[in-house]
Amino acid sequence: MTNTASLIDRLVDEGPRSKGGHTQRFALPLLAAFGLCIMGVALTLDGAFATLESEGIGSIGVKWGFSLALLGLGAAALWVLGKPGRPTRQAVYALAIPFIPIVVLLALELTIAGPLPFGETWRECLAAMLVMSPIAFAGAVLAMRALAPTDLRRAGLAAGLFGGAVAMTAYTPYCPERGILYMVEFYCLPIMAMAAFGWAAGPRLLRW
Amino acid sequence: MGRNDNQTVAYADVLDRLMAAASTGDRNAYRQFLGEASGRIRAMLRRKVGADSELEDVLQECLIALHEKRHTLDPGRPVGPWMYAIANYKLIDHWRRRGRSRLVLDDTADIAVAAETFADVDVAALLEELPDAQAEAIRLTHIEGLTNLEASERLGIGVSAMKLRVHRGMLRLKEIANGQKS
Repeated sequence: MTNTASLIDRLVDEGPRSKGGHTQRFALPLLAAFGLCIMGVALTLDGAFATLESEGIGSIGVKWGFSLALLGLGAAALWVLGKPGRPTRQAVYALAIPFIPIVVLLALELTIAGPLPFGETWRECLAAMLVMSPIAFAGAVLAMRALAPTDLRRAGLAAGLFGGAVAMTAYTPYCPERGILYMVEFYCLPIMAMAAFGWAAGPRLLRW
Repeated sequence: MGRNDNQTVAYADVLDRLMAAASTGDRNAYRQFLGEASGRIRAMLRRKVGADSELEDVLQECLIALHEKRHTLDPGRPVGPWMYAIANYKLIDHWRRRGRSRLVLDDTADIAVAAETFADVDVAALLEELPDAQAEAIRLTHIEGLTNLEASERLGIGVSAMKLRVHRGMLRLKEIANGQKS
């Protein structure tokens, strides 16, 4: 009997049906990373939603609208990219959708009012993004182990965007800044940097 | 629809039918599925991988991957694109692990090099000239007489990596031996 034939025998002995639970094994690291980031900022920072009374829901609404859309699309893209043989282009292109209204709002802000000044909180914001994005990125990488990504660069890119989106979602309630330019500089650019890292490191981190 | 298209549909249908039956726990259908899949993948690999032993290595990696990742095939989706996506991924991964080289490793080539070149030289002394990894690979396979598989298991590396070390080591040894003779 050839090696391949005996291998087939062994695989058949293990059973034709998988044990299941892969959806949970995919979702759990994503939820754990999200929960860890939310808990981390809640334990280390004060003043969540402090600007809600004075500024209204507008600023937080725009930030959360962007970050939650990116988070959801990122998770969906990871799921699609983890299933071999499925068309993935649309899922990857869809990741650009949340950036479109931000570009429009930025153009409006710059042409109508000019860039809004921002205060000293940018350091805290940047630190939060730099600390939490890799944590959530690691969660996405772990989640992909439950699946079988075959385009590792795209999967890495989606994991990076997901990581950044989680960090932004967790920190947004503590951010007093209102400007769109600020949002682009201190949220969107770190998110894109994380995505670029994921694209570059995907082939090493997501191999299976 | 041409003859080839009809054939492709028929093959796909067979795979779909067998996998659908296997997903209900039918071991016989699963065995047939793996047999059919190995035939399809072997045909694909034959166009891209040279040496038979290397082809079988990649094929076995593909079959293990199909088995371990069978939960990633959604019910109702065609098996063909899923199977070939995994096979292509494993082939590219195989090339990557082998050092991004598509050099074809033939088991008999190294033995031929050895017979012609090293008949009248002290091979053990020549091995000192090689990097440790290559020297160890040649010691295990050409002096201790282990197969590539046995040697790779002893060193804890893949069979392909083992073959590559042996192959490169033998080429280097040949250069050194020829240099000493001339």
